[in-house]
Order: sequence, then structure tokens, then C-alpha cells
Amino acid sequence: MAEYIKLIDLTKCTGCRACQVACKQWNELPAEKTGFSGSLQNPLDLSYDTWTLIRYDEIENGSGMQWIMRHDACMHCDWPACVKACPSPGALVKTETGAVVHNPKYCIGCKACVVACPFDIPRYSKKEEKIAKCTLCYDRITDGKVPACVAACPTGCLKFGLKEQMIEQAHKRADAVGGAVYPSNPKYETHVLYIMPTEIQPAQLQHVNPNPKMPTTMLWWKNLFKPFTLLGIGGVAGLAALHYMIKGPHRVSEKEEGGEADG
Amino acid sequence: MAKQEGMVRVTDATERITHWLLAGSCLFALLTGIGLMFHQWEIIPTLLGGYYATKWMHIFSGVVFAVSLIAAMIMWWNECRFVADDGKWILQAGGYLWEAKDLPPAGMYNCGQKIFFWFVVVFGIIIVLSGLVMWNPLIFPVALARWAYMLHVMSVFAVASFTIAHIYLGTFANPGTVQIMFTGWATKAYCEEHKGRWLADRELKAEAESAAE
Repeated sequence: MAEYIKLIDLTKCTGCRACQVACKQWNELPAEKTGFSGSLQNPLDLSYDTWTLIRYDEIENGSGMQWIMRHDACMHCDWPACVKACPSPGALVKTETGAVVHNPKYCIGCKACVVACPFDIPRYSKKEEKIAKCTLCYDRITDGKVPACVAACPTGCLKFGLKEQMIEQAHKRADAVGGAVYPSNPKYETHVLYIMPTEIQPAQLQHVNPNPKMPTTMLWWKNLFKPFTLLGIGGVAGLAALHYMIKGPHRVSEKEEGGEADG
Repeated sequence: MAKQEGMVRVTDATERITHWLLAGSCLFALLTGIGLMFHQWEIIPTLLGGYYATKWMHIFSGVVFAVSLIAAMIMWWNECRFVADDGKWILQAGGYLWEAKDLPPAGMYNCGQKIFFWFVVVFGIIIVLSGLVMWNPLIFPVALARWAYMLHVMSVFAVASFTIAHIYLGTFANPGTVQIMFTGWATKAYCEEHKGRWLADRELKAEAESAAE
């Protein structure tokens, strides 16, 4: 199966929240009780039942206030930190499409993925003792459809397609509007790309990691200390066996008899 | 247990129970932890009733480990303070690796055992504290929570490796040792060899007591 990318063109988002609604509808997620918070952003954050939402940022720049609406959801990392952290096989899987999918059946609610994620995406439910997040509509894209959010988007802000084509399109569009493609770390690729308008730096937006990467502590944990645990146990056991064969056990009674003979 | 001819009672029941609570919870947490960390060891969670059950068994054995670690610290803290002779002992590796000429007699515990105790205390505290963070990581700053996962496994690596040495030295390497943690008794010859200073102190005390009577 081919690899896909979802492209989010921030120059085209009008904040209509059709993606937010379509996500709820397709994934059969219940509505949340929300309140007035002085922002159009509603609900205020992602949750176990809200896998995507539009975030509204008001940014002061030279020419005045700029309003940025941003579709926020799982970035579907190519080398996902959440999958690396997950202790339960099958609970979080990077699929051949590039989509990183959670399976509630296997999730044990350990929350390691929530901590590991460089984009702060998985959300934990105390009640269900499980996590949930955007699946890039894995059930739709493997059936030849685009994700529900993309299908609902009326402005062409959200696009979905083959990886190579989308990367090409992203850079073309970024050049055309004088913006940049986010994220830009070649060592930490994602299956979701943003086209940031010229004047916007990722660090200016809420809930955006300006430099997403695999957490360093994760590399130390999984690539160093994890194998060291077995190496340490096996190595010391091996040394002990060697010691036993070379030096043998330290028997008290023999020494005692020797001591008495000396005396 | 009743007094036995030629035998010395080294540990009391409290000490033995604490030791095995600590050891048992530590080994069970290690087993379940390995089952959760290595997907190749799926056999462990499978035998224990699945990953979800294993998660909770890991947490509960961690709680038992934490409580017995506190009890062990209270019990052994003073006995495991280093004395001048310990330096001499460790410089000769306790006579385990080459022939030691003038190995000083050990107290209740020799220098190696004391090092193991402090090792378990230091890394055990890190394991317990980081484990508490991992139990509920979302109430902590994410940077701290990430460090907890790393420190947890780093400390397990340290303690687990040393524990294998501890098990070997207490069983195969030194026959007569593990009985002290089972029955509480060791032969007098064993105590003269391994706990010379402790035995001498004890005999002096017994003499003083009988003289006082």
C-alpha cells in the first residue's frame, strides 16, 4: 500500500470547523459540553472524544493583528515516538499508509505515549483507561477514500494524497505564498505537513512544537538502557558461571580443617 | 527456631521476611517489567493474564517493593555503615578473585554486601520515585515525566545486574549463606569465616551478660 500525506494549507483555513464536525461524525465521537471562554476555539483542547479541532491564534505583527486558524490533529510521524514508547503490542501501530493508528482493544492505559509524543496529541481517558487520537481515518484511506476532515473541508485547506506528490505540492505552494513547510526536520518526518504563511513562525502558534523530534530521553531509554538490562543480567550471570568454574565455591568447612591443622 | 548445637542464629524472622518481601517484589517487578518492555517476551504477559493485568501487577509489586525498601533501610542502615576495615576488604575484592593475604574479619555484613545495600537504596529510591511519576505522568511537566521513564530503566539495569551477583554470591559461591535467609541459622565455622567481627562482638556481649548474672 502506498504512503500518504495530509497537507494543511494555513493560508486557506477560514476556521469553519467542518473538519472538526466531520471527524466527530465519522469516528462516532460524542459531543462535549463546552463553555464560553472568550475564544472561538471550542472545545479548548483535544480530548479522548475530540481528535481534531481548529485552534485560533491572534498574533500581533507589524501591520496589526493577524488571525491564524489551524487544524490540529495527529501528525502521523514516520518514526513515531508514541509507538516506540508503547508497551502493549498492537495498541499503537504505524501502518504501511503512514497513518499511526491506536487500537483500544490492546491499549492498557499506561500513558507512556502521551508523555512521548513530541506534538502532545494522544489523550487519556480515566474512565476508559485508554488513549485515543486521530487515526488519519485509516478505515477510510485503506478503502480508497480521503480522511473525513479532508472530505469536509470547503476551502481546499486540507488535502490528501500520495506522499511524493503532496511533498512536491507543499513546497510549490509554500514558494508561491512565500511561506514555509512545517515540520522541516528531515530526521523527523511526518505524514501531515503544514504550509505556514510568510509572517508566521511555528513558535508563535499555540500547541506547536517548533522543533519536533524523537525525545532524547526516549533514545537513551529504548536504545541504551533497555538492551543494557538484559545484557547486564546475562553478562553478570555469565561472569558468575565463569567464576564458579575457575575459582569454585568458597567452602567454610575445608578452610576450617586446614586452620586447625596449622594450629 | 530452637537453639542448635554448633549453630549460630544470625537473622530473626523480621529480617528474613523483610529480605524476601524486598527480593520477591523486586524480582516480580523485574519480570513483569521485562514483559512490558520487550515485545519479544510476550510469553510473560501471556502467562500472567495479558498486558493490562501485567501493568497492574507491575505497579502493585512496585508498591510492595517501596514499602519493603523503607523497612530494609530502617533495619540495615546502621549495620551497613562503612568501617575502616571495609576499605581493606574491598581492595582485595573480598578474596573472591585472587588469594587475599590479610582479609579483615567482617561484621554482620562485609563490604561487598554493604555496597549492594547502598546500591539498592540509591537506585531503589530512583526506581520508586520515577515509577510513581510513570504511574500518573500527566500531572507532571512533560520533561520530568520523560526523564522518569529513562531513569527508571537505567536504575533497573544497575540494580538487576548487581542482584545477579548478589544471588550468585549468596548461593553457589558461598554454600551455607542462603540458609541464613531461610532458617536464620549458620554454622559457627561459617560465622567465624564470614562474620568474624560480629561473632566476636556477640560472644563478648554474651560473656559480659553471664558475668553480670
